[in-house]
Amino acid sequence: MSRWFSSGPASAGPEPAEATSAPAGEHREALLRLAACEARMLEGQVNFLTPELLQVDSLVREAAGTLEDALKTLDRSVQHQHLLAGEIQAAMQSTLEGDADASGSTFDAMSATIMGTLDGFVNHITEISQSTVQLADQVNDIRERSFRMETMLGELSEIAGRTHLLSLNASIEAAHARQFGAGFAVVAGEVSKLADRSTALSNTIQEQVVGTRQALERTDAHVKAIASQDMNVALASRGESEALVMSLRTSNWVVKDLVAQLEENARRVTEQVGHVVRSLQFEDLVHQTLMACLKELGNLLEQSQAWKALEVRLKAGEPEGPALAALEATLGQIEAARVQFRAVKSGSLAAGEVDLF
Amino acid sequence: MGRLILTVDDSSTMRQMITFTLKGAGFDVLEAGDGVEALGVAAGKKLDLIITDVNMPRMDGITLVQRLRALPEFKFTPILVLTTESDASMKQKGKEAGATGWIVKPFSPEKLLDVVNKVL
Repeated sequence: MSRWFSSGPASAGPEPAEATSAPAGEHREALLRLAACEARMLEGQVNFLTPELLQVDSLVREAAGTLEDALKTLDRSVQHQHLLAGEIQAAMQSTLEGDADASGSTFDAMSATIMGTLDGFVNHITEISQSTVQLADQVNDIRERSFRMETMLGELSEIAGRTHLLSLNASIEAAHARQFGAGFAVVAGEVSKLADRSTALSNTIQEQVVGTRQALERTDAHVKAIASQDMNVALASRGESEALVMSLRTSNWVVKDLVAQLEENARRVTEQVGHVVRSLQFEDLVHQTLMACLKELGNLLEQSQAWKALEVRLKAGEPEGPALAALEATLGQIEAARVQFRAVKSGSLAAGEVDLF
Repeated sequence: MGRLILTVDDSSTMRQMITFTLKGAGFDVLEAGDGVEALGVAAGKKLDLIITDVNMPRMDGITLVQRLRALPEFKFTPILVLTTESDASMKQKGKEAGATGWIVKPFSPEKLLDVVNKVL
């Protein structure tokens, strides 16, 4: 008779075998209770599930909204990070390499230029140091000559002293000779004066020579100190500059590496943002699924009303056959409508297919 | 100024994800929550592309495509349908209405941009 009701005391069709065992009044009463029970149960389920599903929809929407905001913030942060990385890279390029396109220079070329300049500077200082050392040798030579002059001046003083002594003896001998030695005495006196002058001159020269030697010794010390200091300063400066250039070069490599890491990080985050954008569409899929479920709950409510209608018909004394046939027709319409509501058929969040017409 | 795209979907999340993807690629984006609102937004504008959902209140996406194609200014504007619907019969309806392509949700940003660049 029916796909819904294969049994029952419907007057429109043959009586089911099991229905014949109960009196018609009892059967109708049982059917009434069944209709009331079905209507109550269905309505109860609908009343329970509807707010639950609406709550799920609301929670999902709120969660999706929060995730959307977080996604936008994350995206802005990544964009900002990308911008900063670019600025750092540009600043490093500008500071360390200059306008590479215009000059064709690179950081390595700049390092080579600095080191070349420093080498020239050090070589120049080295030449000056070598000249200073030669100057020190010459000063030393003059100093030694001064020593020899002092020795010779000492001999001159000794000769002057002996000459003075000799003139003194000559004067004594002239005195012994009386009037015969008068002329000789004059000569001896002059010799004595010359010896005195020679001694005084020798002493003066010796003082000058000693002063000159002492000045040369001080000059020698200064020259040697300058020669040594120039070389040390040049070598120390070169070492420090080399270290500075190496430090800058290392910093350049480190910054380049960090910028590259930032870029890679931004690329990965962007990739993940793509996954998040795809996954966040769960809100729409869930919403549509929930709406289909709510629609189905509406169907259940219609079913409940159909059972209530059966109860009303039976209570009104309508024969069971037509009343059940009307219920069957209503339930059939509801079932036919159900299949149209499944808008979401995808069981996963994998990207859907694309079809260009 | 970038190319102007109208996205139509009753889900604000979907609209935001589409807008986020398209704006990130340099497009200018307008939004509408259903077919009726979309017709109002589109009026008097030079749109380069329209992306619409199917199941929406007031006016569904298929009807929207038909209504847009009836307007001279949108006769040749690319229209992509972005929907959870994947039935061949529904796709056929979209094609007959004048849609340029059919994308089943969820979309991946890369794939959406690839399709957008193809139809522009």
